Amino acid sequence: MELLQSIVNGLGQGSVYALLALGYVMIYKATKVISFAQPALMVVGGLFTYHFTREFGLPFWIGMALAVLCGAAVGMIVERLALRPMIGKPVFTLAIITIGIDIVLRILANRYIGVQSKIVTYPDGTRIHEVGGITISSQRLGLIAVTVVTVVALALFFRYTRYGLAMRATAIDQETAMAQGIRIGIVFALAWAIAGGLAAIAGTFVAAGTAGMDQNTWIIALKALPAIIIGGLDSIPGAVVGGLMVGVVEAVTATYQPDVAGWLGNNFSLVAPYALMLVVLLVRPYGLFGTKEVERV
Amino acid sequence: MTTIVRSPRLRGRALATTSYAQDMGLLNTPAKRRSTLVMVVLGFLVPFLLTDDLLQIATLGMISAVGAIGLNLVTGYAGQVSLGHAFFIGVGAYTGAVLGGSETSLVVGYDLPMWIWLPGAGIVAALAGLLVGPLAVRLRGLYLAIVTLGLVFLGDHVFREARSLTGGPGVGRRGPDLNVFGIDLRESGSVLGLELAREQRQFLFALLFLIVFAVLARNIARSGVGRAFSAVRDRDVAAAIIGVDLTKYKVMAFAMSSFFAGVTGALYYAVLGVFDPSAFGLLMSIQYLAMILIGGVATISGSIMGAMFIAFLGRLSGEIAHVVPGITTGSGGGGVLTVFQLEAILYGLLIIVFLIFEPRGLFGIWLRIRNYWKGWPFSY
Amino acid sequence: MTKKRNLLRVGACAMTAALVLTACRGGDSGSSEAGGGITDEPCPDAVNPDNGCIYLGAISDLTKGPFAPLAVPITDAQEAFWAQVNEDGGVGGYDINLTDHIADSEYNPELHNRKYQEMRDDVAALAQTLGSSQTLAILEDMKADDVIGVPASWNSAWEFEDQILESGASYCFEAMNGVDWAVAERGVANKVVAVGYAGDYGGDAAAGVEVAAEANGLEYVALETPAGQENQTGAISQILGEQPDLVYISTGPAEMATIVGGLAQNGFTGTVVGSSPTWNPALLQSAAAPALEALYFQAGPWGPFGTDTPGHQKMRDALGDVTPNDGYTAGWAWSYALLATLEAAADLDGGITRENLVKAAGELESVDYEGMLPEDAGATDGDPNETAFRQSVISRVDPSAPTGVTIEQDFTAGPTVSDFDFTEPCFSLQ
Repeated sequence: MELLQSIVNGLGQGSVYALLALGYVMIYKATKVISFAQPALMVVGGLFTYHFTREFGLPFWIGMALAVLCGAAVGMIVERLALRPMIGKPVFTLAIITIGIDIVLRILANRYIGVQSKIVTYPDGTRIHEVGGITISSQRLGLIAVTVVTVVALALFFRYTRYGLAMRATAIDQETAMAQGIRIGIVFALAWAIAGGLAAIAGTFVAAGTAGMDQNTWIIALKALPAIIIGGLDSIPGAVVGGLMVGVVEAVTATYQPDVAGWLGNNFSLVAPYALMLVVLLVRPYGLFGTKEVERV
Repeated sequence: MTTIVRSPRLRGRALATTSYAQDMGLLNTPAKRRSTLVMVVLGFLVPFLLTDDLLQIATLGMISAVGAIGLNLVTGYAGQVSLGHAFFIGVGAYTGAVLGGSETSLVVGYDLPMWIWLPGAGIVAALAGLLVGPLAVRLRGLYLAIVTLGLVFLGDHVFREARSLTGGPGVGRRGPDLNVFGIDLRESGSVLGLELAREQRQFLFALLFLIVFAVLARNIARSGVGRAFSAVRDRDVAAAIIGVDLTKYKVMAFAMSSFFAGVTGALYYAVLGVFDPSAFGLLMSIQYLAMILIGGVATISGSIMGAMFIAFLGRLSGEIAHVVPGITTGSGGGGVLTVFQLEAILYGLLIIVFLIFEPRGLFGIWLRIRNYWKGWPFSY
Repeated sequence: MTKKRNLLRVGACAMTAALVLTACRGGDSGSSEAGGGITDEPCPDAVNPDNGCIYLGAISDLTKGPFAPLAVPITDAQEAFWAQVNEDGGVGGYDINLTDHIADSEYNPELHNRKYQEMRDDVAALAQTLGSSQTLAILEDMKADDVIGVPASWNSAWEFEDQILESGASYCFEAMNGVDWAVAERGVANKVVAVGYAGDYGGDAAAGVEVAAEANGLEYVALETPAGQENQTGAISQILGEQPDLVYISTGPAEMATIVGGLAQNGFTGTVVGSSPTWNPALLQSAAAPALEALYFQAGPWGPFGTDTPGHQKMRDALGDVTPNDGYTAGWAWSYALLATLEAAADLDGGITRENLVKAAGELESVDYEGMLPEDAGATDGDPNETAFRQSVISRVDPSAPTGVTIEQDFTAGPTVSDFDFTEPCFSLQ
């Protein structure tokens, strides 16, 4: 029973990681860069929802939809201003640039947050559902539902739309894709827009949690890093599975490690995702679903 | 392998080399010899020019330059991107603090002299590097980067929990004592007849420390080991085919880099005093990576320039932030941004701007200047 | 041959240059002889142009660090406090300037140290030094420079440092009072769990809970929990497993709300008492609000923002239209001790100097907190067991109050803390 409860808790938290991990993977597939600006995008997205719902008085779902659009816009702007000029430069230079962006955006967000954490009110958020002794809040249920819908929508987008196809082609081979007439700039912008939108969804649900969005909440987004490695850097299903796994592993270790393996020290659950990541990589160097790199001389 | 015959330099033809050994020489042109001499002399003059607070920044910058050189060995020369540098620096810092520090009610310390704790810190960190080596053999690129990042998080956990060694979070511990040949670098007073303040002593020691390790690293880079590193970086499969033992050199690169990181960590916190486990996080790894990217990948002088740039960046953005008009100097209240927020933003912006406009780093700028004067007055 | 001569020449030049330059670097390496932040010149934009100027420094966490949400209002309140002092005519013929030497250390001991090096010759005292390891990182230099400082924390260890001017009961005493109160008023009789951050703050509070648990015959369990609302699952399930009737929390507000919300969701009905930094009024808008109203009480060193005392009133007037926050209250209340020290030093032989400030800081018999704290709370003249202030305030959640909490029980020293023999810090920092 306790185990089941912690798995349910973990799935809720894991959904946030999965959404964020999808954002990382989108950007990686398009540009081969790991974006360290994801934490800031998450915070900014959550604050957009706060602003729309609290200041403009819009309903939660409409506020979130607008926030997703704004988050996507922020993602595109960042890509256009700071990353487009750097196409073709070493990926680590680009990674460091995303860190610079993260610092800048986060300071601006902190300015907005100020002294009090910003809490988004989730409709009927205090209600607790109970099924067979397992409790879950309606906010968590909503989060899991939204994650499922988002993942399905993304999958359909990639499978059936022109731009989805263009993005898949670019991920396989940039130059060939360009030779086929795909405008690569649009693909990059789209990847960042999707990542920004996903981060905004994650941010909204974080801000609708018990303690809202404060100046330290961004750290949550770093938990998605082991998730993308576990799943495989370039795999969309991998990001989802990895995110959920990280959430569950964290919750289960938090519940059982103090009794079962106390020698690991206090709060080992914090680093359990990284330990899991190391184990997975020793067995499968490209993650669970990642594409194996073919090496040629 | 043929034996290398020492050939004489051609008189009056300073730039002509007659053997590979000459070409790979440490200071292979007269210009390099002269400029290095001038730089070193100027370096020794700096402590008599700057105020104490700037000297301290420069001292810490030079010490972290050694760490940056270490990271450049593994990332720049051998091509193994490591986000785990903070972990190795942490291992070095705590080894140094335990061996050379004093015991208190919270932490252990053995009060050993510097000639034990400084190399000790390097060796223990290098051993930790040996442990990571096998991972590097299996992984490449971003996977390796994130795995080494995992190392930082695991290390952070260990540092937080091993309280008798580290003091624990929020409390921290003191670094090792700084005694060199009976001279206490933590106090002011006269040395060899010269009145030297604490900061001046520390600066001079850090300068010597940097010179020793910079020369060491340069020698590694221009030896067979360095060439093997480059081969692994440029194409590891090709390197393996021409007979470079991948496992050996990847592990070696991590061990060497970690040794540099270890001594850096120990000395850095000996100068700084108190430190706590939160220091060795993602941010530190990123800062070191930024140092070598800003300075110049696979160059020793670039690492040094990058480290000094990052060290002074905080001060620089602070000074700029204070002269920007329309910014409140207070801690909060009105205005779009406070001066502190602007300072933090400038820190990020300067890194972005720098990398966008000069991707080859400070070393690239230096190359341009040098090439301009090389052909002067016929430069274009 | 030529090389050697070159070397000699450069060496000679260097030597001469060194000698010349040593002279021009001059006396800036000294500590307090260059006025040390106390000048007869008026302050920039002085309120009282006839007064001299005393420069104070503040090293705080103003942008990226974990305590920025609290530290910014603390610093704002301190600026307002010293501006008010200037409006009232200054101290001993001096105006006070804090604004010129505020620095952001991002809660990082290294930056804290650097910022102190930058200002060490220019400030007479530190109006704020935030963080324990951060303050320890500069404590030796402060002692060498004769600089006193006001900490922005309530560690019991500061009572044992002569140059650190703390105000109000420590986390440790606060925790003892919290447990005593819960035993007396909420019928707690069996088990208390202390859950908090590792280190200075959580450790100090947990030590207090342990002493009080023993005194009251309660079973005691300590848990450590990391920062981050997403990381509280473990703490919640462990608390539920222990089935205590009192939980004493010393974390940040987000973590506290997550824990209390999680406990309530699983049917916990006992009492929760939190250290003073666990509260933030924004939590009343969160999903955890009903749980907080039902379960949570705050132990604090003084009354919250809306309390009716002359000091609180003066603070509210000086700050004007701000979002109420108890960071302001803390920043304002802490400053009284430094003001009293400046006043005492002005009466000493030689007036206000760094040396006299250090002397005065160890000889205070009372501090006029204008009602925010009792006068004897500021005494430093004697050993800590005699002078340490032992009374705390317990507040309950009240959505109508400016900061969401009002006083449940005014200044009281519980039986545990009154009998406590305070000969060493509850939680040692070094």
